[in-house]
Amino acid sequence: MNADDWLRAFAAELYQRRVGGDAARHVVAEAATHLREGGGDPWLVFGSPQAYAAAIVESIGTAPGPRPGPVRLHARGITKRYGRQVVLRDASLTVRAGQIAAVVGANGCGKSTFLRICAGLVSPDAGEVTVSGRLGYCPQQGGTADFLLPDEHFVLVGAGQGVPRGPARQAGRAAARQLGWDAGNAVLARHLSGGTRQKLNLTMSTLAQPDVLLLDEPYQGFDQGSYVDLWDQLTRLRDEGRAIVVVTHLLNQLDRVDVVLDLTPAHQGGRS
Amino acid sequence: MNRLVTVAEMTLRELARRRGVLLLLLLMPLTFWLIRRDSYVGQSVRALLLGISWAVSTAALFATSAARELEPRLRLTGYRPHHLYLGRMLGLWGLGLAISVPFFLLTVVDANNLRYGGIAVAMLCCVAVAAPFGMLIGALLPRELEGTLLLLTVVAMQMLLDPADAGAKLTPFWSSREIATWAVDHTDDGYLTRGSLHGLVVTVLLIVTVAGVFAVRLRRRRHLHHVPIA
Repeated sequence: MNADDWLRAFAAELYQRRVGGDAARHVVAEAATHLREGGGDPWLVFGSPQAYAAAIVESIGTAPGPRPGPVRLHARGITKRYGRQVVLRDASLTVRAGQIAAVVGANGCGKSTFLRICAGLVSPDAGEVTVSGRLGYCPQQGGTADFLLPDEHFVLVGAGQGVPRGPARQAGRAAARQLGWDAGNAVLARHLSGGTRQKLNLTMSTLAQPDVLLLDEPYQGFDQGSYVDLWDQLTRLRDEGRAIVVVTHLLNQLDRVDVVLDLTPAHQGGRS
Repeated sequence: MNRLVTVAEMTLRELARRRGVLLLLLLMPLTFWLIRRDSYVGQSVRALLLGISWAVSTAALFATSAARELEPRLRLTGYRPHHLYLGRMLGLWGLGLAISVPFFLLTVVDANNLRYGGIAVAMLCCVAVAAPFGMLIGALLPRELEGTLLLLTVVAMQMLLDPADAGAKLTPFWSSREIATWAVDHTDDGYLTRGSLHGLVVTVLLIVTVAGVFAVRLRRRRHLHHVPIA
């Protein structure tokens, strides 16, 4: 991890720990100046980004986090069978505005199916889902057009909501920048790397300003920096009052979420 | 209206960037034409029409299959099913017309004593029918290989069946063959009327069926309730 990566991870940690925006910017700028003028490995100078962020929080305190708002997504009693195999049994989840929920579980336990049911793309055998407001969905893969440019994807999504082309392009590029990606280059989607393509996928799902955002393992192919950017953006969206559901099998970020739904069947040690 | 036009435009942009596909789309009717050119002008015109039908329906099949994953999420962003299938169909009709123009000029240059208006109407029928036909197969069969094989079967059947046979009227591109007979052999106007009517009816039936399939596939599921934010 070079100095830039360290600073980025540090900024993300501060943000995650709810250090106020101006204070966080000031601390990061100070650390950057120190590294630039003094040189040296940030890990030796400051330690890990997490540890240094914790020390900063202790000394300057944090901004109070927004309280969770009204319920935005309520899924209850979701049961789904494929043939004789029961994939989901009586799964329930409630997510409020300003919350991130993680759907976790072993491979094949129905995480993606649960999300597709919440998005209304698949019908369950039992149960129902109530959504307040607009819904956004980012699939695990696919969901883009091979022979279109990123800008054209933004125009396509924007037209669905009656947004004119220019503003749709600008909004798409701005959302992509939040993920550390310059979407202005004229590269067809099929020529994008796996991680960049997933950023396009993610950008498309946030472009519609959804109140409920459903993300199916959105970090596929992401490098470390992009992964940090993703969680930064999710935290930002949460603080704006969005309800977010993330399907994940990476458990190291569970401390950053508010609700966890474990779909691992009980006999395998699940706690759904 | 803007949604329809945007989907049509994006369909055309996608197809225009598939240069290999475009080349094959042009090559196919040309090959059909060249193979039959030495025998009898009527045969070459009919082969050309069949080539256009096959090319446009194949493009429609692939465009529909390629959009299978994208359409549900476009639906979530505010598109209605008719924006998606009609927009795509408009784009494919545009492509079909663009492909047909050089072949129409080819018949004008290469063959004498034809009713060229009839040739144009026959080509219009080919394009009108082929776009929804390919889309319907693409919507019903999730895998492109299966869809292509079904298309091949239909086109082969169209080629082998005697057009005077009652069963031939059940094939989707019978109209163009009937109109071509009127245009090439200078038969009575009944051929033109029957062919045009057949083309119109088949096109409408296919559009209605495509609408039904898309409406089911992209329907709002009953388990999902949307509540407006207070």
